[in-house]
Amino acid sequence: MTTNTQPAVLIVDDEEMVITSIRAFLRLETDYAIDGFTDPEEAVRRLETHPVDVVVTDYLMPRMNGIQLLARAKELQPEAARVLLTGHADKQSAIQAINEIGLYQYLEKPWDNAQLLLVIRTAIERTQLLRSLSEKIAQLDMAHSNLKDVQSRLLRAFL
Amino acid sequence: MNEAREPAMSAEEMLRLRAELEAANRKLTEAYKLMSLGRLVSGIVHEINTPIGSILSNNEVTTRSLEKLAQFLGEAQQRGTPPPAKALEIVETVRGLAAVDKIACERISGIIRGLKTYARVDEADLRKVDLHEVIRDTLKLSGCEYRRRVAVETDFGDIPLVECYPQLMSQVLLNLLVNAGQAIEGEGKIVVRTRNEDGWVRISISDNGRGIQPEHRARIFAPGFTTKPVGIGTGLGLAITREIVVDTHKGEIGFESEVGAGTTFHVRIPVEHPGSGRP
Repeated sequence: MTTNTQPAVLIVDDEEMVITSIRAFLRLETDYAIDGFTDPEEAVRRLETHPVDVVVTDYLMPRMNGIQLLARAKELQPEAARVLLTGHADKQSAIQAINEIGLYQYLEKPWDNAQLLLVIRTAIERTQLLRSLSEKIAQLDMAHSNLKDVQSRLLRAFL
Repeated sequence: MNEAREPAMSAEEMLRLRAELEAANRKLTEAYKLMSLGRLVSGIVHEINTPIGSILSNNEVTTRSLEKLAQFLGEAQQRGTPPPAKALEIVETVRGLAAVDKIACERISGIIRGLKTYARVDEADLRKVDLHEVIRDTLKLSGCEYRRRVAVETDFGDIPLVECYPQLMSQVLLNLLVNAGQAIEGEGKIVVRTRNEDGWVRISISDNGRGIQPEHRARIFAPGFTTKPVGIGTGLGLAITREIVVDTHKGEIGFESEVGAGTTFHVRIPVEHPGSGRP
Protein backbone atom coordinates (compact mmCIF):
# COMPACT_ATOMS: atom_id res chain seq x y z
CA MET A 1 0.00 0.00 0.00
CA THR A 2 1.58 3.25 -1.09
CA THR A 3 1.10 6.71 0.33
CA ASN A 4 0.40 9.99 -1.45
CA THR A 5 -1.93 8.32 -3.96
CA GLN A 6 -5.51 9.48 -4.50
CA PRO A 7 -7.21 9.05 -1.13
CA ALA A 8 -9.89 6.35 -1.14
CA VAL A 9 -13.13 6.64 0.83
CA LEU A 10 -15.57 3.77 1.31
CA ILE A 11 -19.15 4.70 2.22
CA VAL A 12 -21.56 2.00 3.38
CA ASP A 13 -25.24 2.70 4.06
CA ASP A 14 -28.28 0.62 3.18
CA GLU A 15 -29.94 3.87 2.11
CA GLU A 16 -28.86 4.72 -1.42
CA MET A 17 -29.84 8.35 -0.78
CA VAL A 18 -27.13 8.76 1.87
CA ILE A 19 -24.43 7.42 -0.45
CA THR A 20 -25.62 9.67 -3.31
CA SER A 21 -25.62 12.76 -1.08
CA ILE A 22 -22.20 12.17 0.49
CA ARG A 23 -20.67 11.17 -2.85
CA ALA A 24 -21.98 14.36 -4.52
CA PHE A 25 -20.62 16.46 -1.66
CA LEU A 26 -17.17 14.83 -1.65
CA ARG A 27 -16.92 15.05 -5.45
CA LEU A 28 -17.63 18.75 -5.26
CA GLU A 29 -15.16 19.46 -2.49
CA THR A 30 -12.38 16.91 -2.98
CA ASP A 31 -10.60 14.70 -5.48
CA TYR A 32 -11.03 11.53 -3.41
CA ALA A 33 -11.88 8.20 -5.00
CA ILE A 34 -15.29 7.34 -3.55
CA ASP A 35 -16.88 3.92 -3.45
CA GLY A 36 -20.37 3.41 -2.06
CA PHE A 37 -22.16 0.18 -1.12
CA THR A 38 -25.67 -0.44 0.16
CA ASP A 39 -24.77 -4.05 0.98
CA PRO A 40 -22.19 -4.35 3.80
CA GLU A 41 -21.11 -7.80 2.58
CA GLU A 42 -20.20 -6.32 -0.79
CA ALA A 43 -18.25 -3.62 1.03
CA VAL A 44 -16.25 -6.33 2.84
CA ARG A 45 -15.43 -7.96 -0.50
CA ARG A 46 -14.21 -4.57 -1.72
CA LEU A 47 -12.02 -4.20 1.37
CA GLU A 48 -10.48 -7.61 0.64
CA THR A 49 -9.13 -6.38 -2.69
CA HIS A 50 -8.79 -2.59 -2.59
CA PRO A 51 -6.91 -0.42 -0.08
CA VAL A 52 -8.98 2.39 1.42
CA ASP A 53 -8.04 5.24 3.71
CA VAL A 54 -11.33 5.63 5.55
CA VAL A 55 -14.51 3.59 5.95
CA VAL A 56 -17.69 5.54 6.77
CA THR A 57 -20.59 3.27 7.65
CA ASP A 58 -24.16 3.34 8.92
CA TYR A 59 -24.96 1.25 11.99
CA LEU A 60 -28.34 -0.42 11.35
CA MET A 61 -28.13 -2.45 8.16
CA PRO A 62 -29.50 -5.84 7.11
CA ARG A 63 -27.31 -8.93 7.58
CA MET A 64 -24.36 -7.05 9.07
CA ASN A 65 -24.38 -4.01 11.31
CA GLY A 66 -21.86 -1.16 11.15
CA ILE A 67 -19.80 -2.42 14.06
CA GLN A 68 -19.49 -5.90 12.54
CA LEU A 69 -18.47 -4.32 9.25
CA LEU A 70 -15.84 -2.13 10.92
CA ALA A 71 -14.50 -5.14 12.83
CA ARG A 72 -13.94 -6.88 9.45
CA ALA A 73 -12.37 -3.68 8.11
CA LYS A 74 -10.00 -3.66 11.09
CA GLU A 75 -8.91 -7.24 10.33
CA LEU A 76 -8.48 -6.60 6.62
CA GLN A 77 -6.97 -3.10 6.69
CA PRO A 78 -6.00 -2.14 10.24
CA GLU A 79 -4.59 1.27 9.23
CA ALA A 80 -7.83 2.42 7.52
CA ALA A 81 -9.73 4.85 9.78
CA ARG A 82 -13.17 3.67 10.92
CA VAL A 83 -16.09 6.10 11.16
CA LEU A 84 -19.66 5.29 12.24
CA LEU A 85 -22.35 7.59 10.81
CA THR A 86 -25.63 6.62 12.38
CA GLY A 87 -29.18 7.82 12.78
CA HIS A 88 -29.55 5.36 15.61
CA ALA A 89 -28.53 7.58 18.53
CA ASP A 90 -27.64 4.74 20.83
CA LYS A 91 -24.93 5.30 23.42
CA GLN A 92 -24.45 1.56 23.83
CA SER A 93 -23.50 1.05 20.17
CA ALA A 94 -21.11 4.03 20.38
CA ILE A 95 -19.36 2.63 23.47
CA GLN A 96 -19.18 -0.83 21.90
CA ALA A 97 -17.72 0.65 18.70
CA ILE A 98 -15.10 2.69 20.53
CA ASN A 99 -14.03 -0.15 22.81
CA GLU A 100 -14.14 -3.08 20.44
CA ILE A 101 -13.01 -1.72 17.11
CA GLY A 102 -11.02 1.41 17.90
CA LEU A 103 -13.46 3.77 16.24
CA TYR A 104 -11.93 6.95 14.82
CA GLN A 105 -15.14 9.02 14.98
CA TYR A 106 -18.82 8.57 15.84
CA LEU A 107 -21.11 10.87 13.85
CA GLU A 108 -24.88 11.19 14.01
CA LYS A 109 -27.45 11.78 11.28
CA PRO A 110 -28.46 14.31 10.17
CA TRP A 111 -24.81 15.01 9.56
CA ASP A 112 -23.09 18.32 9.03
CA ASN A 113 -21.13 18.36 5.75
CA ALA A 114 -18.33 20.60 7.09
CA GLN A 115 -17.83 18.32 10.09
CA LEU A 116 -17.99 15.19 7.94
CA LEU A 117 -15.37 16.60 5.60
CA LEU A 118 -13.09 17.56 8.49
CA VAL A 119 -13.38 14.06 9.95
CA ILE A 120 -12.71 12.36 6.61
CA ARG A 121 -9.79 14.69 5.82
CA THR A 122 -8.04 14.14 9.17
CA ALA A 123 -8.82 10.41 9.01
CA ILE A 124 -7.11 10.19 5.61
CA GLU A 125 -4.08 12.11 6.91
CA ARG A 126 -3.85 9.75 9.87
CA THR A 127 -4.13 6.64 7.69
CA GLN A 128 -1.52 7.89 5.25
CA LEU A 129 0.84 8.80 8.12
CA LEU A 130 0.35 5.34 9.63
CA ARG A 131 1.07 3.70 6.27
CA SER A 132 4.09 5.91 5.74
CA LEU A 133 5.30 5.01 9.22
CA SER A 134 4.85 1.29 8.45
CA GLU A 135 6.87 1.72 5.25
CA LYS A 136 9.64 3.55 7.13
CA ILE A 137 9.72 0.83 9.78
CA ALA A 138 9.93 -1.80 7.05
CA GLN A 139 12.78 0.14 5.39
CA LEU A 140 14.57 0.44 8.74
CA ASP A 141 14.13 -3.30 9.32
CA MET A 142 15.56 -3.96 5.89
CA ALA A 143 18.51 -1.59 6.49
CA HIS A 144 19.09 -3.19 9.86
CA SER A 145 19.19 -6.68 8.43
CA ASN A 146 21.49 -5.45 5.63
CA LEU A 147 23.81 -3.95 8.24
CA LYS A 148 23.83 -7.17 10.21
CA ASP A 149 24.65 -9.03 7.03
CA VAL A 150 27.54 -6.63 6.25
CA GLN A 151 28.74 -6.88 9.84
CA SER A 152 28.78 -10.67 9.79
CA ARG A 153 30.59 -10.65 6.43
CA LEU A 154 33.17 -8.19 7.84
CA LEU A 155 33.66 -10.37 10.89
CA ARG A 156 34.12 -13.42 8.70
CA ALA A 157 36.65 -11.51 6.55
CA PHE A 158 38.77 -10.44 9.51
CA LEU A 159 38.59 -13.54 11.64
CA MET B 1 -91.76 4.47 49.56
CA ASN B 2 -88.17 4.27 50.70
CA GLU B 3 -87.94 0.68 49.46
CA ALA B 4 -89.29 1.77 46.06
CA ARG B 5 -86.78 4.66 45.82
CA GLU B 6 -83.68 2.65 46.65
CA PRO B 7 -83.46 0.53 43.49
CA ALA B 8 -84.02 3.69 41.35
CA MET B 9 -81.09 5.44 43.08
CA SER B 10 -79.03 2.35 42.81
CA ALA B 11 -79.71 2.18 39.07
CA GLU B 12 -78.66 5.82 38.74
CA GLU B 13 -75.56 5.07 40.71
CA MET B 14 -74.87 2.10 38.45
CA LEU B 15 -75.26 4.25 35.37
CA ARG B 16 -72.92 6.83 36.82
CA LEU B 17 -70.37 4.17 37.73
CA ARG B 18 -70.67 2.63 34.29
CA ALA B 19 -70.10 6.01 32.66
CA GLU B 20 -67.10 6.57 34.92
CA LEU B 21 -65.75 3.14 34.03
CA GLU B 22 -66.18 3.81 30.34
CA ALA B 23 -64.46 7.18 30.70
CA ALA B 24 -61.59 5.56 32.62
CA ASN B 25 -61.36 2.88 29.94
CA ARG B 26 -61.17 5.50 27.22
CA LYS B 27 -58.44 7.32 29.15
CA LEU B 28 -56.53 4.06 29.58
CA THR B 29 -56.79 3.34 25.85
CA GLU B 30 -55.62 6.87 25.09
CA ALA B 31 -52.72 6.60 27.57
CA TYR B 32 -51.71 3.23 26.11
CA LYS B 33 -51.85 4.70 22.63
CA LEU B 34 -49.51 7.54 23.58
CA MET B 35 -47.22 5.09 25.33
CA SER B 36 -46.98 2.83 22.28
CA LEU B 37 -46.20 5.89 20.19
CA GLY B 38 -43.51 6.86 22.70
CA ARG B 39 -41.91 3.45 22.24
CA LEU B 40 -41.79 4.01 18.48
CA VAL B 41 -40.25 7.46 18.75
CA SER B 42 -36.60 6.42 18.62
CA GLY B 43 -37.31 4.36 15.48
CA ILE B 44 -39.24 7.23 13.94
CA VAL B 45 -36.42 9.67 14.72
CA HIS B 46 -33.95 7.33 13.04
CA GLU B 47 -36.13 6.93 9.98
CA ILE B 48 -36.60 10.69 9.64
CA ASN B 49 -32.97 11.63 10.36
CA THR B 50 -31.65 9.72 7.36
CA PRO B 51 -33.70 11.55 4.70
CA ILE B 52 -33.26 14.87 6.55
CA GLY B 53 -29.48 14.33 6.54
CA SER B 54 -29.62 13.78 2.78
CA ILE B 55 -31.84 16.79 2.11
CA LEU B 56 -29.64 19.13 4.19
CA SER B 57 -26.48 17.89 2.52
CA ASN B 58 -28.04 18.06 -0.96
CA ASN B 59 -29.25 21.60 -0.37
CA GLU B 60 -25.72 22.72 0.48
CA VAL B 61 -24.22 20.86 -2.48
CA THR B 62 -26.87 22.24 -4.85
CA THR B 63 -26.21 25.82 -3.72
CA ARG B 64 -22.45 25.41 -4.18
CA SER B 65 -22.95 23.62 -7.51
CA LEU B 66 -25.15 26.42 -8.85
CA GLU B 67 -22.51 28.98 -7.87
CA LYS B 68 -19.90 26.97 -9.78
CA LEU B 69 -22.25 26.56 -12.72
CA ALA B 70 -22.90 30.31 -12.85
CA GLN B 71 -19.14 30.89 -12.81
CA PHE B 72 -18.53 28.40 -15.67
CA LEU B 73 -21.35 29.84 -17.77
CA GLY B 74 -20.21 33.44 -17.13
CA GLU B 75 -16.64 32.62 -18.15
CA ALA B 76 -17.78 30.75 -21.25
CA GLN B 77 -20.00 33.67 -22.26
CA GLN B 78 -17.12 36.12 -21.85
CA ARG B 79 -14.84 33.94 -23.95
CA GLY B 80 -17.58 33.28 -26.47
CA THR B 81 -17.03 29.51 -26.15
CA PRO B 82 -19.46 26.74 -25.27
CA PRO B 83 -19.69 25.90 -21.54
CA PRO B 84 -17.10 23.33 -20.37
CA ALA B 85 -17.95 19.65 -19.94
CA LYS B 86 -17.69 20.17 -16.18
CA ALA B 87 -20.83 22.39 -16.38
CA LEU B 88 -22.89 19.53 -17.79
CA GLU B 89 -21.52 17.25 -15.08
CA ILE B 90 -22.76 19.71 -12.44
CA VAL B 91 -26.22 19.81 -14.05
CA GLU B 92 -26.37 16.00 -13.90
CA THR B 93 -25.28 15.98 -10.24
CA VAL B 94 -27.93 18.53 -9.28
CA ARG B 95 -30.56 16.58 -11.23
CA GLY B 96 -29.60 13.44 -9.28
CA LEU B 97 -29.81 15.27 -5.97
CA ALA B 98 -33.25 16.67 -6.82
CA ALA B 99 -34.44 13.08 -7.43
CA VAL B 100 -32.99 12.02 -4.06
CA ASP B 101 -34.70 14.96 -2.34
CA LYS B 102 -38.04 13.90 -3.79
CA ILE B 103 -37.64 10.37 -2.44
CA ALA B 104 -36.45 11.73 0.92
CA CYS B 105 -39.43 14.10 1.22
CA GLU B 106 -41.85 11.32 0.26
CA ARG B 107 -40.30 9.13 2.96
CA ILE B 108 -40.73 11.80 5.63
CA SER B 109 -44.27 12.66 4.54
CA GLY B 110 -45.18 8.94 4.59
CA ILE B 111 -44.11 8.68 8.23
CA ILE B 112 -45.91 11.91 9.13
CA ARG B 113 -49.04 10.60 7.40
CA GLY B 114 -48.82 7.43 9.48
CA LEU B 115 -48.52 9.52 12.62
CA LYS B 116 -51.51 11.62 11.62
CA THR B 117 -53.69 8.58 10.94
CA TYR B 118 -52.67 7.20 14.30
CA ALA B 119 -53.08 10.35 16.33
CA ARG B 120 -55.61 12.65 14.69
CA VAL B 121 -58.72 13.47 16.64
CA ASP B 122 -60.94 14.35 13.68
CA GLU B 123 -60.94 10.66 12.72
CA ALA B 124 -62.27 9.53 16.06
CA ASP B 125 -65.76 9.12 14.57
CA LEU B 126 -67.32 6.10 12.98
CA ARG B 127 -67.03 6.35 9.19
CA LYS B 128 -66.51 4.31 6.04
CA VAL B 129 -62.83 3.74 5.55
CA ASP B 130 -60.47 2.18 3.04
CA LEU B 131 -58.69 -0.22 5.41
CA HIS B 132 -55.85 -0.71 2.93
CA GLU B 133 -54.98 2.96 3.35
CA VAL B 134 -55.02 2.58 7.15
CA ILE B 135 -52.80 -0.53 6.86
CA ARG B 136 -50.33 1.22 4.54
CA ASP B 137 -50.10 4.24 6.87
CA THR B 138 -49.64 2.04 9.93
CA LEU B 139 -46.94 0.01 8.17
CA LYS B 140 -44.98 3.25 7.71
CA LEU B 141 -44.95 3.64 11.50
CA SER B 142 -44.30 0.02 12.46
CA GLY B 143 -41.58 -0.09 9.79
CA CYS B 144 -39.66 2.53 11.76
CA GLU B 145 -39.27 -0.08 14.47
CA TYR B 146 -37.96 -3.00 12.44
CA ARG B 147 -37.62 -1.98 8.78
CA ARG B 148 -34.03 -3.10 8.43
CA ARG B 149 -34.47 -6.55 9.85
CA VAL B 150 -38.02 -7.50 8.89
CA ALA B 151 -39.40 -7.64 5.37
CA VAL B 152 -43.09 -6.77 5.09
CA GLU B 153 -45.32 -8.15 2.35
CA THR B 154 -48.90 -7.16 1.65
CA ASP B 155 -51.44 -9.41 -0.01
CA PHE B 156 -54.54 -7.25 -0.37
CA GLY B 157 -57.83 -8.75 -1.46
CA ASP B 158 -60.72 -6.87 -3.06
CA ILE B 159 -62.41 -5.48 0.05
CA PRO B 160 -65.17 -2.88 0.38
CA LEU B 161 -65.01 0.29 2.48
CA VAL B 162 -65.52 -0.68 6.11
CA GLU B 163 -67.53 1.31 8.65
CA CYS B 164 -65.15 1.67 11.59
CA TYR B 165 -63.18 4.01 13.85
CA PRO B 166 -60.04 4.42 11.71
CA GLN B 167 -57.92 5.74 14.53
CA LEU B 168 -58.76 2.76 16.73
CA MET B 169 -58.21 0.34 13.84
CA SER B 170 -54.82 1.93 13.31
CA GLN B 171 -54.02 1.16 16.93
CA VAL B 172 -55.13 -2.48 16.51
CA LEU B 173 -52.87 -2.83 13.47
CA LEU B 174 -49.93 -1.11 15.14
CA ASN B 175 -50.21 -3.34 18.22
CA LEU B 176 -50.31 -6.51 16.11
CA LEU B 177 -47.52 -5.36 13.77
CA VAL B 178 -45.20 -4.32 16.60
CA ASN B 179 -45.89 -7.63 18.39
CA ALA B 180 -45.16 -9.52 15.16
CA GLY B 181 -41.86 -7.64 14.78
CA GLN B 182 -40.90 -8.32 18.39
CA ALA B 183 -41.66 -12.04 17.94
CA ILE B 184 -38.99 -12.20 15.24
CA GLU B 185 -35.44 -12.57 16.51
CA GLY B 186 -33.00 -11.26 13.93
CA GLU B 187 -34.32 -11.17 10.39
CA GLY B 188 -37.74 -12.35 9.33
CA LYS B 189 -40.93 -11.65 7.45
CA ILE B 190 -44.38 -10.26 8.18
CA VAL B 191 -47.28 -10.74 5.77
CA VAL B 192 -50.45 -8.64 5.96
CA ARG B 193 -53.44 -10.12 4.12
CA THR B 194 -56.94 -8.79 3.63
CA ARG B 195 -59.96 -10.76 2.45
CA ASN B 196 -63.60 -10.01 1.76
CA GLU B 197 -65.77 -12.55 3.63
CA ASP B 198 -69.43 -11.87 2.83
CA GLY B 199 -70.31 -8.83 4.94
CA TRP B 200 -67.06 -9.05 6.88
CA VAL B 201 -63.47 -8.11 6.20
CA ARG B 202 -60.64 -10.24 7.51
CA ILE B 203 -57.17 -8.83 8.18
CA SER B 204 -54.48 -11.41 8.89
CA ILE B 205 -51.03 -10.53 10.17
CA SER B 206 -48.50 -13.37 10.00
CA ASP B 207 -44.96 -13.46 11.28
CA ASN B 208 -42.33 -16.18 11.08
CA GLY B 209 -41.15 -15.50 14.62
CA ARG B 210 -40.83 -17.64 17.70
CA GLY B 211 -44.55 -18.44 18.10
CA ILE B 212 -46.66 -18.41 21.28
CA GLN B 213 -45.98 -21.07 23.89
CA PRO B 214 -49.06 -23.35 24.35
CA GLU B 215 -49.28 -22.56 28.09
CA HIS B 216 -49.57 -18.81 27.32
CA ARG B 217 -52.25 -19.05 24.65
CA ALA B 218 -55.30 -18.97 26.90
CA ARG B 219 -54.14 -15.79 28.65
CA ILE B 220 -52.73 -13.59 25.90
CA PHE B 221 -55.80 -11.32 25.72
CA ALA B 222 -56.00 -10.93 29.51
CA PRO B 223 -55.09 -7.45 30.78
CA GLY B 224 -51.70 -7.43 32.48
CA PHE B 225 -50.45 -10.64 30.90
CA THR B 226 -47.11 -10.32 29.13
CA THR B 227 -44.13 -12.50 28.31
CA LYS B 228 -42.02 -9.54 27.26
CA PRO B 229 -39.23 -8.16 29.46
CA VAL B 230 -39.96 -5.31 31.88
CA GLY B 231 -39.91 -2.02 30.00
CA ILE B 232 -40.96 -3.64 26.70
CA GLY B 233 -44.35 -5.20 27.44
CA THR B 234 -47.18 -3.78 29.49
CA GLY B 235 -49.66 -6.60 29.10
CA LEU B 236 -52.19 -4.09 27.78
CA GLY B 237 -51.61 -4.25 24.02
CA LEU B 238 -53.62 -7.35 23.19
CA ALA B 239 -56.26 -6.62 25.86
CA ILE B 240 -56.90 -3.20 24.27
CA THR B 241 -56.72 -4.72 20.79
CA ARG B 242 -59.37 -7.28 21.73
CA GLU B 243 -61.56 -4.60 23.27
CA ILE B 244 -61.38 -2.40 20.15
CA VAL B 245 -62.12 -5.31 17.81
CA VAL B 246 -64.74 -7.18 19.83
CA ASP B 247 -66.45 -4.56 22.01
CA THR B 248 -66.14 -1.44 19.85
CA HIS B 249 -66.44 -2.93 16.37
CA LYS B 250 -68.46 -6.07 17.20
CA GLY B 251 -65.79 -8.07 15.40
CA GLU B 252 -63.71 -11.13 16.13
CA ILE B 253 -60.07 -11.72 16.90
CA GLY B 254 -58.15 -14.98 17.03
CA PHE B 255 -54.78 -16.48 16.26
CA GLU B 256 -52.94 -19.58 15.11
CA SER B 257 -49.44 -20.21 16.35
CA GLU B 258 -46.70 -22.78 16.07
CA VAL B 259 -43.70 -22.57 18.37
CA GLY B 260 -40.59 -21.87 16.31
CA ALA B 261 -42.56 -21.29 13.09
CA GLY B 262 -44.64 -18.16 13.72
CA THR B 263 -48.02 -16.70 14.53
CA THR B 264 -50.94 -15.37 12.53
CA PHE B 265 -53.50 -13.04 14.09
CA HIS B 266 -56.87 -12.78 12.36
CA VAL B 267 -59.10 -9.77 12.87
CA ARG B 268 -62.63 -9.86 11.41
CA ILE B 269 -64.71 -6.69 11.25
CA PRO B 270 -68.28 -6.34 9.94
CA VAL B 271 -68.46 -4.11 6.87
CA GLU B 272 -71.45 -2.26 8.40
CA HIS B 273 -71.03 -1.35 12.05
CA PRO B 274 -74.00 -2.78 14.02
CA GLY B 275 -74.30 0.31 16.26
CA SER B 276 -74.05 3.96 15.38
CA GLY B 277 -72.79 5.69 18.54
CA ARG B 278 -69.35 5.50 20.04
CA PRO B 279 -69.31 2.91 22.84
